[in-house]
Amino acid sequence: MEPRLANTWRLTVNEKKFIETALQSDLRIDGRRPFEYRKISIKFGREDGSTEVQLGQTHVMGFVTAQLVQPYKDRPNEGTLSIFTEFSPMADPSFEPGRPGEAAVELGRVIDRGLRESRAVDMESLCIISGKSVWSVRVDLHILDNGGNLIDGANIAALAALLTFRRPECSLGGEDGQEVIVHPPEVREPLPLIIHHLPIAVTFAFFGNETSVVIDPTHYEEAVMGGRMTATLNANNDICAIQKAGGEGVLQSVIMQCLRIAGQRAHDITTKIKNAVESYNTERALRKIKRHSNSVSLDISGADVDVVKNQNRSFDQKGVSERSKLIPGKSIADQSMDIEGETKSSKQGQTNRIEGDAKSFIGGPSSWDPYAGGVNLDLLKASLASRGTSTPSRKEIYSRGENMSCEAKPVEPPKDNSLASSPIEAAKTPLGTNGEKTLKDAVKSKNKRKKKASSAGGS
Amino acid sequence: MEIDRVDGRTANQLRPLACSRNILNRAHGSASWSQGDTKVLAAVYGPKVGTKKNENPEKACIEVIWKPKTGQIGKPEKEYEMIVKRTLQSICVLTINPNTTTSVIVQVVNDDGSLLPCAINAACAALVDAGIPLKHLAVAICCCLADSGCVLLDPTKLEEQKTKAFAYLVFPNLTLSILPEGSLKVEGEPVEQAIITSVTQGAMSVDDYLHCLERGRAASAKMSAFLRRSLPPQNPSDSSRAG
Repeated sequence: MEPRLANTWRLTVNEKKFIETALQSDLRIDGRRPFEYRKISIKFGREDGSTEVQLGQTHVMGFVTAQLVQPYKDRPNEGTLSIFTEFSPMADPSFEPGRPGEAAVELGRVIDRGLRESRAVDMESLCIISGKSVWSVRVDLHILDNGGNLIDGANIAALAALLTFRRPECSLGGEDGQEVIVHPPEVREPLPLIIHHLPIAVTFAFFGNETSVVIDPTHYEEAVMGGRMTATLNANNDICAIQKAGGEGVLQSVIMQCLRIAGQRAHDITTKIKNAVESYNTERALRKIKRHSNSVSLDISGADVDVVKNQNRSFDQKGVSERSKLIPGKSIADQSMDIEGETKSSKQGQTNRIEGDAKSFIGGPSSWDPYAGGVNLDLLKASLASRGTSTPSRKEIYSRGENMSCEAKPVEPPKDNSLASSPIEAAKTPLGTNGEKTLKDAVKSKNKRKKKASSAGGS
Repeated sequence: MEIDRVDGRTANQLRPLACSRNILNRAHGSASWSQGDTKVLAAVYGPKVGTKKNENPEKACIEVIWKPKTGQIGKPEKEYEMIVKRTLQSICVLTINPNTTTSVIVQVVNDDGSLLPCAINAACAALVDAGIPLKHLAVAICCCLADSGCVLLDPTKLEEQKTKAFAYLVFPNLTLSILPEGSLKVEGEPVEQAIITSVTQGAMSVDDYLHCLERGRAASAKMSAFLRRSLPPQNPSDSSRAG
């Protein structure tokens, strides 16, 4: 694919002069001081080992996967680590798909050197059978948005992904103990990688006039700069790697000053990464705990109902659009699965009505709307009447838990009062009116937002 | 017929949808679309000069680059690129900017079933975010056939793997409120009834396929309502950054 000249973004002469002149007075165009980093935000995805890092306007995604392979002949006891960087064409109009350019190769090499040579990731723990079977860890870094300083952003993404990655546990089996049995995550908890230290890359940009140095250049500054240096070091002030590939000549004293500053920044960034990973791990642990306690609360009693309610409330306190909100709803839906088999039998009979109400569920940060279609109340009451009391009571508990977290709606308070007053083996009619909400709540799947939507729409 | 789906949905329920626009800074238009756990990020770079060698220079050209989550780009990715490209070509107004190329880059963030429809929805939202002129919007949905012969909408990855056949369907999305009656009828059928793209996998009977079409169309009405709600600009002072 031939590069199209019109696509390369070029800085105008005026902009260049402006940036250089501003730097002479220690002013940067985004208002930062010369040795100030941009805001770093680290988010984690659904699976273990997937992260999204934002360094100012730079967006990088990292994914870690692992598979069993044969080790290299000269290192039979060690696993392998490989880093693949993708400069996605969405990051910059000048990035072309296909073979990686020099910048992509350099970025990959710098991060690789930082992780491998400094022995940050423990390779020997990845060995299962010496000489035959080791884990090969693969890190994929996707650059989504080039806001400058891709090396640092990609490095943080790689570290965060490696810290949250979990590899399946495996054991030796078979006749002579030579077979490797990989246990799926449901059977045995997957294990994290052993990471000894975190090598953080800190990039400096040098500008010709008066040897001005800035840290963490934006893409405007990168277009103007005369030279660049990346220092990879860890929180113990050990230098893992330094990369200065050509560019402007720089005084030794300036280099030493940069390294000192890099040490402080590396310390800050390490703390940030560790905090983010810790909160992810707590959330992950909470997810597991939540599922177990719900199965306990199926023994119906007033105390247990309160337990479910409180747990739902505490989850709600976590923030509106986090995925963690969906998870308590999901675990509830898992258990009410068999109930739904019965409800669906009555609902399937009315295919026309269901088609008309093809339900779409709106969740997520950008939009939330009450559920547009309505649910046929008569049908629900009829379906409830055909079932026993035990099943609605389970849903009643869940719906109480859900409804506690709903925004106050006018219809709900009277229903909640009746729920509170009626015992579990209550008469069918009050359960029928409450059941209209419980049935809808059970029928809708994981998202609590959807249950809110359904109760708003139906009532 | 009882349908027992693993996550507790009925046959006609979609997973929670989420769409956000304008998430990237350098790209002219960007959008992320997620259906349940499947999440796709799409970015658009506005009309660039020149078309590729085999393309018709009298029309605008759309170029799609599909980036999988991990691994090399192989034949399946090329096929997805081709499908997305043809789908988007039918909704863009190609005669406005002749001899230009608009690049759409699709990045898979997570794949939990129904990946291609998610990508088409994301690409359509990204085109709107970039301000590329479109004839109408497109909404994509996946329908699969369960063993019992029932049509399940928006399957997860496990359901897709177990099912014997599934179809990806893309429907156009017009604003019926604006068009007067009797307009835009192609051969006597209103354009709303059209199918832009249909990709099927596995063997299914003709009746089952028509059944899928009906269900898909009904669900697409709700999805397009959601799409229209999430597309209006959050910041009214946003101007198009193409060019």
